[in-house]
Amino acid sequence: MDAIQISGTPHMRKKRTTRGIMIDVLIALVPATAAGLVFFGLRALVTIAISVAASVATEWVWLLCKRKSFKEIWAQFDFSSCVTGLLLALTLPAFEYKYFYIPLLSAVFAVGVAKMLFGGTGKNIVNPAIAGRVFAFISFQSNMVSGWMTPRFAALGNTVQTSATPLTSMLGEGLGKIGIGNLDLFLGTGVTGCIGETCKVALLVGFAYLLVRRVVKWQWPVIYVAVTGLVSCAMGKSMGYFLPSILSGGLLLGAIFMATDYVTSPNNKWACYLYYLVLGVITALLRFGTKIEVVSFAILLMNLVVPLFNMYVRPRPFGAKPVVQVCKDKLDSIKQKARQKKAAKEGEAQ
Amino acid sequence: MKARKGKFFAKGIHVPDNKEWSKDVPIEVMETPDIVAISVQQHIGKPSIPVVNAGDEVYMGQLIAKEAGYIGANVYSSVSGTVMGVEKRKNINGTLSDYIVIQNDHHYRKVDLEPLADRESATIKARIREAGIVGMGGAGFPTEVKLSPRTPVDTLVINAAECEPYLTCDYRLMIERTEEVAAGIRLLAKALAVDKVMVGIEANKPQAIALFEKYDDMQVVVLKKAYPMGSEKHLIFSCTGRKVPVGKLPADAGCVVQNVATAFAVYEAVECNKPLYERVLTVSGKGCVHPKNLLVKFGTNFSALRENCGAKPEAAMFVSGGPMMGPAMASTDVYTTKTASGFLMLLPEEIDVSEPEPCINCGACADVCPMNLLPMQIDFYTQAGEYDLAAKFGGVANCISCGCCAYVCPAKRALTQSITLCKQKLSERR
Repeated sequence: MDAIQISGTPHMRKKRTTRGIMIDVLIALVPATAAGLVFFGLRALVTIAISVAASVATEWVWLLCKRKSFKEIWAQFDFSSCVTGLLLALTLPAFEYKYFYIPLLSAVFAVGVAKMLFGGTGKNIVNPAIAGRVFAFISFQSNMVSGWMTPRFAALGNTVQTSATPLTSMLGEGLGKIGIGNLDLFLGTGVTGCIGETCKVALLVGFAYLLVRRVVKWQWPVIYVAVTGLVSCAMGKSMGYFLPSILSGGLLLGAIFMATDYVTSPNNKWACYLYYLVLGVITALLRFGTKIEVVSFAILLMNLVVPLFNMYVRPRPFGAKPVVQVCKDKLDSIKQKARQKKAAKEGEAQ
Repeated sequence: MKARKGKFFAKGIHVPDNKEWSKDVPIEVMETPDIVAISVQQHIGKPSIPVVNAGDEVYMGQLIAKEAGYIGANVYSSVSGTVMGVEKRKNINGTLSDYIVIQNDHHYRKVDLEPLADRESATIKARIREAGIVGMGGAGFPTEVKLSPRTPVDTLVINAAECEPYLTCDYRLMIERTEEVAAGIRLLAKALAVDKVMVGIEANKPQAIALFEKYDDMQVVVLKKAYPMGSEKHLIFSCTGRKVPVGKLPADAGCVVQNVATAFAVYEAVECNKPLYERVLTVSGKGCVHPKNLLVKFGTNFSALRENCGAKPEAAMFVSGGPMMGPAMASTDVYTTKTASGFLMLLPEEIDVSEPEPCINCGACADVCPMNLLPMQIDFYTQAGEYDLAAKFGGVANCISCGCCAYVCPAKRALTQSITLCKQKLSERR
């Protein structure tokens, strides 16, 4: 009797929480992380550890500075900074130990500037992990485009370029010169690249998990990847570009885990269709224009215009007139106005 | 007539319906406590005006408060006894209104309404108005007003969806009083002067569907089991395929929607000359020892209901109505009304009172919104005090307050409350 609770309706709620979603994303990233560790060994582990630790630490220090107690911080901790840290690490190459500061600084930038400065979870304008990667790319360019580690299993009969990703050589020298088959690109064997992006199988396993848990919708990554592939084919004037272009570089990682980030993607179905379509086109155009890996730049760019998508592409309420009818009505009213004007003018003339 | 499937509607949510506890419990008449307090405000519109004074002897079924205006309803005494006075008492939602308090003498001496001379449309409507019948699904809109639409209608849709979890009172009525409910439906159709009658029943009530299939003058429509299937607009869409235009009434789509319980009340008023002073109500929830469907007289204290059905000591929340739209009570010392269709005693495991977290823009609310709105935008702009923008970008005016958005929200945001606040602010400004 004494402890009657009251709350607003509805009193029943779905069991899913923000924390649960973030943990689901972390689980979905496990295969990709494991593949990265297998291919790049201890170095990858160190990069990941530094990045995740720095991300979480940045968030916690920020909240401590805002005079929050540890208890509050833990109660509100939703693992989103873990996701940011891990995703960031997966988009970085496995650095030599002496470059430990690159993941560290990127993570601090990602969480500190791109997320907390804008108000924390849910308030960031750009995806923090993408911001961190772009920060690293711009600030430490030499380490980000060359001197990459040769992955294990490189001896499976491929000519491996250690200077750049297969994508760069494909875009630079043409389709035939990559020297790596689609299967290798798919499995990640003998391909240089960032820690998490080389093994597409692992990424797809993670994607399947996200689909099963209904964290992302299958349409979004599929639209993004397909459009990128098709536009690449059109640019290269050959259908042979389709598979290499979607299997190389960070496209799958970006499409599955970064572009579908809730906070930085549009809030309704129709806006999302348009958003991923435009994103795909921009990615392909940028790739051919710059000849470097640009998925992160494309997503960053599109993140900035998400509010526009939200503003102009809105669902129509149940029972609203169909779009066709609205257009017809509009046309009719314009016609009628014109007729009235004409009539008025004729009247004046007379 | 053979049942047909309702038109598919993709949005909405699937809630565990928890009807199994009270589904097979027959309707039971509840012993009315010594004192009843009958609200003069049991409907949408102006409060009724009390016509009895302290010390008056009243009979069961005697008029005690008269309607005050077009949108209003008469109130009848639910017991026989002595009027103790008109007092301010707490409503379920915590506000105060006038209650006519009556000392029950437990004799239940009854007065009936005058028998009707004929069954013409105008006579039936007048009787519905006289008997104080309001929409018993929850809104409490006077039924007679709803039966006098300004635009021509051709279809009567009976809302037997009962999409709120836990509640089984309409279901029990359909099973136990099938003939009476059907007669009530026919009277409603007659009052409206329409031939087409559709009865929308959710697919999880096969027994009720089978019972109503045998009538040739009404078409049973089997609705998808989803919440909010019982919302007027979605019920009409599912049954007839018509969409109620934005900002318009169901009558603009040629339909009038009435609840099963309302149909039953109409039958009693017309055929038994009995005004509306009692209704069937479901008492359920994991915190309830004996879930029941009770025939309860208006003005019965919820504490009496609680004693009758037994509340577990760990029951944490008491709700009047269903868990999706019914208000939680701060104390069970409040009284039943025409619109209270349930009384739920919920354990902590059934409810979620967690603190809201920041919105992560996942879009789950927009995915389930049956009205295709953007609840997260409404919430965002309402929190910022920008009510006009909330209306522009979120479409707050079309909200039916079903609570689907808040149900799925992973950040547990109080979306329903934001929307209500926004609506209120916008209507104040007008």
